[in-house]
Amino acid sequence: MDNRRLNATTLVLYGFVGLWSLVVLIPIVFMFMTSMKTRNSMFMRPLDLPESLNFQAFERAWGVGIGQFMVNSVLVTFLSVALIVVISGLAAYALTRMQGGWSKLTYLLIVAGFAIPMQAVLVPLFQIISGAGMLNSRLALVLPYAAYGIPFTVILFYAFFLDFPRELEEAARLDGCTRFQTFMRIILPLSGPAIASAAIFQSVFIWNEFILALLILTQPDLKTLPVGILELQGEFTADWPAVMAGLSLATLPLLLVFVLAQKYFVRSLAGLGK
Amino acid sequence: MTARSEQTTVSSGTLTYAAMLAPALILMSVFVFVPVVLVLYGSLFQFSLTDRQWDFAGFGNYARAFSDPIFWVALRNNLIIVIGSIVLQVGFGTILAAMLDRGITVGGTLMRTIIFAPMVISSVAVGLIWLIILDPNVGPMNVLVSAIGIAPPRLGWLGDPAFSIWVVLGVAAWQYTGFMMVLILAGLQAVPKELYQAAALDGATGLRAFRYITLPAIRNILIVAVLITTVGGFKVFDLIFVMTKGGPANATQVLGTYIYLQAFTLGNSGYANAISAVLLVIAVALGWLQLRTSRKA
Repeated sequence: MDNRRLNATTLVLYGFVGLWSLVVLIPIVFMFMTSMKTRNSMFMRPLDLPESLNFQAFERAWGVGIGQFMVNSVLVTFLSVALIVVISGLAAYALTRMQGGWSKLTYLLIVAGFAIPMQAVLVPLFQIISGAGMLNSRLALVLPYAAYGIPFTVILFYAFFLDFPRELEEAARLDGCTRFQTFMRIILPLSGPAIASAAIFQSVFIWNEFILALLILTQPDLKTLPVGILELQGEFTADWPAVMAGLSLATLPLLLVFVLAQKYFVRSLAGLGK
Repeated sequence: MTARSEQTTVSSGTLTYAAMLAPALILMSVFVFVPVVLVLYGSLFQFSLTDRQWDFAGFGNYARAFSDPIFWVALRNNLIIVIGSIVLQVGFGTILAAMLDRGITVGGTLMRTIIFAPMVISSVAVGLIWLIILDPNVGPMNVLVSAIGIAPPRLGWLGDPAFSIWVVLGVAAWQYTGFMMVLILAGLQAVPKELYQAAALDGATGLRAFRYITLPAIRNILIVAVLITTVGGFKVFDLIFVMTKGGPANATQVLGTYIYLQAFTLGNSGYANAISAVLLVIAVALGWLQLRTSRKA
């Protein structure tokens, strides 16, 4: 009796989680499937499997410049994340080692930045960037992305540095390292887990950031993926296989990285709950 | 001698620390704090981005917002997304997480990976994929729905003003429920297993254990999840911009898309700043709440 009830419960659990997984999976599979179809079979039988592996849609989509968008996204994401890690690391270290009220006040100021969404300051952001003559430049994305990534990363590093063993630092200072050298040679190299966590978290958001990139980048050769793939829609009005092929190309890299390193992704993003 | 050298290290230390803080503070000032001040200042004027001339308008832009029906539609839509997302994303996220934590042994990691995956896809791509799935002429959703005998909406899934915001809400849930699930799952895994064993001895298993042990144990994480979802619901932009552009007839306009429309399409930047100020106030209030809960935790 007890055994049977247990089985029914298990069935419900697996049924529910399995069903949800399917609902999530099907649109993604549909995207990959459609990109291997011909335009005709797409319209006649949208739900059927592709008759054969057909990569022409990928060629058409690649022609829009997906390759260039990807390079741009990699550059912007890498530069922004590197900047965020170094700048936030320096700031958090100073905040944990400074004495007195100023450090607390500065920490609160930086944390307050966490509450400000980019969407709410779009007009002045645009004014500042265009006023500086920086429209259509990668730097005009990298610097604001860094600025908006700093607060959360400082919070994360702050907690990590507070627990950092002071003996190591004192030894380094005795050996004649300045505070800055101590940070670069001792603290940063030993902060691997915190850095990885921050870098993954920020990468996901910056790689997918849309609204600022949409405003700043009008030049096709500078566009990042989220802005670039929007062109697929206009370019191939009725050519769904090409749109889906473009989307597959755009989403595959991060999906692959995610599947391979999902443990780290999950740990990093779940850190937001702390 | 020692006292003096101590003195110099302290001040040189202060200088080093100031230099270490400077890059962060400069970047944040230029791109976060100054823009906030400029939003508030600019909301008092009437101007467009190409104008040199700014006309002082006092609180005119705010008066205009409060009597603008589309502003209220946008705010209402944000609230629909916030409340709907709390129910769908946090609600189902909690259920899925509890099931993965307590009941599922085989295939748990695989299913967790799948459900979380849309989180790493850009909302633009998600919007475009669903735009094709929901296409009224040949989209597979219509084929699917017709196959089980339901008539698909006549104006299309996104074409009916009474319907479209709910479809957007559904797509957002498709993308982000996995994120909430993972967040909550991390909290669940921190609950000591002995608690469940002790409760089982007292006769509390299954749903009763969930009600009396699981929920109280993850109370703080749930609050954080609700706050993150709320902030996200007020910030929503990409999905709507891609799927409906705020249409049909402004029915899916939210604050983010309405700010964009007023500032960069219609050239009413002062007005856009006033709407931005409303969004800012909401965001700062939520941020303050979040800080308070994390302090308590």
